[in-house]
Amino acid sequence: MPKILGKGLKGFAIFAVLGWSLAPIVLILISSFKPDRDIFAAPPRLLFEPTFDHYVALWTRWGDFFAGLVNSLIITTGATILAVVTSAMAGYAYSRYRHTVMSSSAFFLIFIRLIPPIVITLPLFPVVNILRINDTHILMIVLYATFFVSLGTLIMRTFIDQIPKELDEAAHIDGASHWQILRRIILPLSAQGMIAVSVFVIVFAWNEFLFAFIFTTTRAKTAPLVLSEMFGAVEGVEWGVLFAASTLQLLPVLIFVVLAQKHLVAGLTAGATKG
Amino acid sequence: MIAPVQTMIGTMILLPVLYVFWLSLTVSSFGQAPVFVGFDNYVRVLSDPYFWRALRNTMIIVLVVVHAELLLGLGVALLFASGIPARPIMLAAVLAPYAVSEISAVVMWRYMFDLDIGYATQVLNFFGLPTLEWAINPVHGLMLVAILSIWLNLPFTFVILYAARLAIPKDLYEAAEVDGASPWQQFRKVTLPLLLPAMLIAMLFRYIFAFRLFSEVWLLTGGGPARQTEVLAVYLYREAFRYNAFGTAAATGWLLVIASLVLALWYLRKLYKEMFATNA
Repeated sequence: MPKILGKGLKGFAIFAVLGWSLAPIVLILISSFKPDRDIFAAPPRLLFEPTFDHYVALWTRWGDFFAGLVNSLIITTGATILAVVTSAMAGYAYSRYRHTVMSSSAFFLIFIRLIPPIVITLPLFPVVNILRINDTHILMIVLYATFFVSLGTLIMRTFIDQIPKELDEAAHIDGASHWQILRRIILPLSAQGMIAVSVFVIVFAWNEFLFAFIFTTTRAKTAPLVLSEMFGAVEGVEWGVLFAASTLQLLPVLIFVVLAQKHLVAGLTAGATKG
Repeated sequence: MIAPVQTMIGTMILLPVLYVFWLSLTVSSFGQAPVFVGFDNYVRVLSDPYFWRALRNTMIIVLVVVHAELLLGLGVALLFASGIPARPIMLAAVLAPYAVSEISAVVMWRYMFDLDIGYATQVLNFFGLPTLEWAINPVHGLMLVAILSIWLNLPFTFVILYAARLAIPKDLYEAAEVDGASPWQQFRKVTLPLLLPAMLIAMLFRYIFAFRLFSEVWLLTGGGPARQTEVLAVYLYREAFRYNAFGTAAATGWLLVIASLVLALWYLRKLYKEMFATNA
């Protein structure tokens, strides 16, 4: 008897976990295809005639949002490349050369993660305006990459630590330079680590709100920022359009996270336990 | 090889933070030369009732969110470890909220808790529970912010704890079984002590990250009604970008930095001591 009870409890727990994690996501994905009158139907209507009305309305009335998606794509790609390349280089150095100066600068990397991003916006805001790089892709790319190179370096170091040192020593004897060792040996063998780093940067850069909110106004406005403006503007009126936009913003990165979950888990554990 | 990383961090993070400290000792605004005023800004911030309210709100949210996450994360991790059907799909489901942006999450939860017609509101009403009046009642507003943050960040806490749980060797449980330990005793004597370091790390990271909470609050309540749901980051933003009071904003910023450091130091030391105690 207790065994059946235990099984039942476990089934309920699994069901609850699934519901908690997925219900909000599924709800807006489905609702984005619902005609207006069904969005708030109670009890929720499972059978409805799917419609693309909201997506059409989004396309015709919120062209800004699609520009935002393009900006997000550019910024995310740029930030990922920059962060992965610089983290791999630094991770290599930290993994292979250990002395006091190096370990104190590694400690500095951990220390820097403690600083809240909003504090940085204060002094950067006027400087960025003076340099006239506010509202540009390059600024957002550098900002996003910078906030992940510390974690990225720690992750890369963990992965590069697993590559036997004898390999670089052998290459060194054959006359290879540090750059050649990095390019020919370390990078190919630490591909897993680079993927793990890019998962974090992609998710972060694609979804980030605070920096976009403060540093972009028109040209480099990202999708989350446009979505927040739509949220403020159409509140309580047109949920359908909002759901369509949320779905488009969410779906690519959701699929990506599901596909890359193994790397996400590996990166999180490497970054958190070692950092 | 480390030059690019250190340059990026140096120019985009370290220099600005040091500059913020200088700013916090001055009075300045847009287009104004900063005037040195010593610790006036700190005095002003610390005597501002709005600051104390933001601090209190932040503390409440951090304590509630982080500890709820730890408990839930532990529960889900143990559920996964006990063997469940379709594990890869379940794992993907639990990780899904990690992919969701703050704004999309706000759209979802705001819709579910819509005062008139949201599904969650209807469920609450169905069970005769009071409606979550998050737009009117500040306590309810903070509750919704907390629920939202837990939802967004549970994947992180879960992954750390789950990885740590998987790292516990099976023999320990077999040995405990042979010695006749009940499931509860196995949890108390094997699982919990071995998960403790991972739990402390998850907690430390989440304390620090929850402490800088901005977007959820800003997008959901905007700090309102009447600034009653402001958290420290929202307070700082308002000082700087609405009232153009860069001095007091900078002082708030440094208080945030110091608080984060203190949180981290305390836990790192605790972690160190505990590791030392188990080694001795």
